[in-house]
Amino acid sequence: MISEMKTIGDGWPARSLLTWLAATAATLLIIAAFLTTPALCAGNETAPGSGGPDASAPPGPPPDQLNGGQPYGDPLAPFNEQMFKFNLNLDKYVVLPVAKGWAAIAPVPVRQSVSNFFDNVGVIPRFANNLFQLRLQAANDEVMRFAINTTLGVGGLFDVADSWFGLKENKDDFGLTLGHYGVPPGPYLVLPFFGPSTIRDTAGMFADGAMNPLDYLTPWYVYIPANATRYALSGINYRSLHLNLFEEVDRYAIDLYGSVQDAYMQNRAAEQKRIDEGSLL
Amino acid sequence: MNEGTAPRRARAIALISAIAIVMAIVMGTLSVTRVGADTGDPMSVVKGLVNPALALLKNDQLTLAQKGAQMRQLVSDAFDYTEMSRSALGYHWKTLTSDQQAAFTGLFTSFIQDSYLNKIQDYKGQTVTFIKWSMDYPGYAQVKTTINEPNGGSPIPLNYLLKLENGNWKIYDVTVDAISIIANYRNQFNRVINDKGFPTLMDELRAKRNQLAGSLGNSANN
Repeated sequence: MISEMKTIGDGWPARSLLTWLAATAATLLIIAAFLTTPALCAGNETAPGSGGPDASAPPGPPPDQLNGGQPYGDPLAPFNEQMFKFNLNLDKYVVLPVAKGWAAIAPVPVRQSVSNFFDNVGVIPRFANNLFQLRLQAANDEVMRFAINTTLGVGGLFDVADSWFGLKENKDDFGLTLGHYGVPPGPYLVLPFFGPSTIRDTAGMFADGAMNPLDYLTPWYVYIPANATRYALSGINYRSLHLNLFEEVDRYAIDLYGSVQDAYMQNRAAEQKRIDEGSLL
Repeated sequence: MNEGTAPRRARAIALISAIAIVMAIVMGTLSVTRVGADTGDPMSVVKGLVNPALALLKNDQLTLAQKGAQMRQLVSDAFDYTEMSRSALGYHWKTLTSDQQAAFTGLFTSFIQDSYLNKIQDYKGQTVTFIKWSMDYPGYAQVKTTINEPNGGSPIPLNYLLKLENGNWKIYDVTVDAISIIANYRNQFNRVINDKGFPTLMDELRAKRNQLAGSLGNSANN
């Protein structure tokens, strides 16, 4: 396994250099995060050991799935609600119509292949973050998956690493790496175009974006439009595979914003748990 | 992560056995007449809900209204609506009068049931795999299942959370893909109560319930 990793690394000097650069930058970020964490925590309302609800963890009802049953603080709610509306309108008037048009001309296998292609292209942040969290098997699997799917999977169009070799994708991002090393998510933040996030996960998104080799090999007037196009196309393609994404949620929701917010927070908490349990650290 | 597991497990086992002993003594002294009160394990409770429900969904002889009526009966026995209602309101529950609590519980119960019935209409031959059940805390259990799509998409993890009440296991929450449905409603209800007040929440919940019931062609009762 390791020798195979090495071969790929040796054959791709540019990529290993860039990965190293990204790793160095990210490590600096982690150290910075460590240094600032006490400052971030100082703002919390309850200090540890001040007789909080889980002081002695008595036997009894299981800890609630959600934030200990406490409501989320949402200090950015006025901004978030505006952005949420903007995103819903963007979806309604631009993304969904285009996605429907795309779904009408491209059958599901084609759209699934497009989705696989974009997944395959995003290997570097997945690999790097699995490595940062010392999830070595997962990091190794990501390299293997990239090698297999790029060659046998015809440039990433087919996920044969999964279907033939049983190598599953290991979703990961820098927000989870920061979380793994103790950085709290911070306030909930709805981003225009990108949707639900938190302060931490937004920072993580920029760090992951900075690992894109294209940004270092081409001038800005190439990579910025290229990245925007890639993001827009993958977003539209994703929506074409999930045409009922909001409709199905809205049908049963009393407050759509609150439902999406909670789903994001619960999903991230579950991802974090999965990451932390699979780590050597 | 690991160093706390062994003592915690030992403590959990000690607690479970202590509770079992206490329960055995209590049952032994009280249950001369209730020997047959076999409550079953959480898995059989969930199977007792899901298997008849699947049979009902596959039954072509019944109309949607008939299916709905039978499903309502199934669902009403398996779930603990009071616990679900209390959990969905979070800390607001204690601020309500008992009349308000009762009104909310009644409305939320019919809302959940109508949501469940609406899901029936979406049924496209999915199957259910029962994976395992576990008791992570005394009196609280989790049953893991997956919903398998007939066209071979990736299976959706669906877990049932149960609570032991008066010797019966009752479902008080369901998680879909690790997202707790009751916690999701709690965040929604919390926002509506804080922004617009409890009466508005009741109005909006009633409107949504009627909308869901209306799309079934059923008439709402309360």
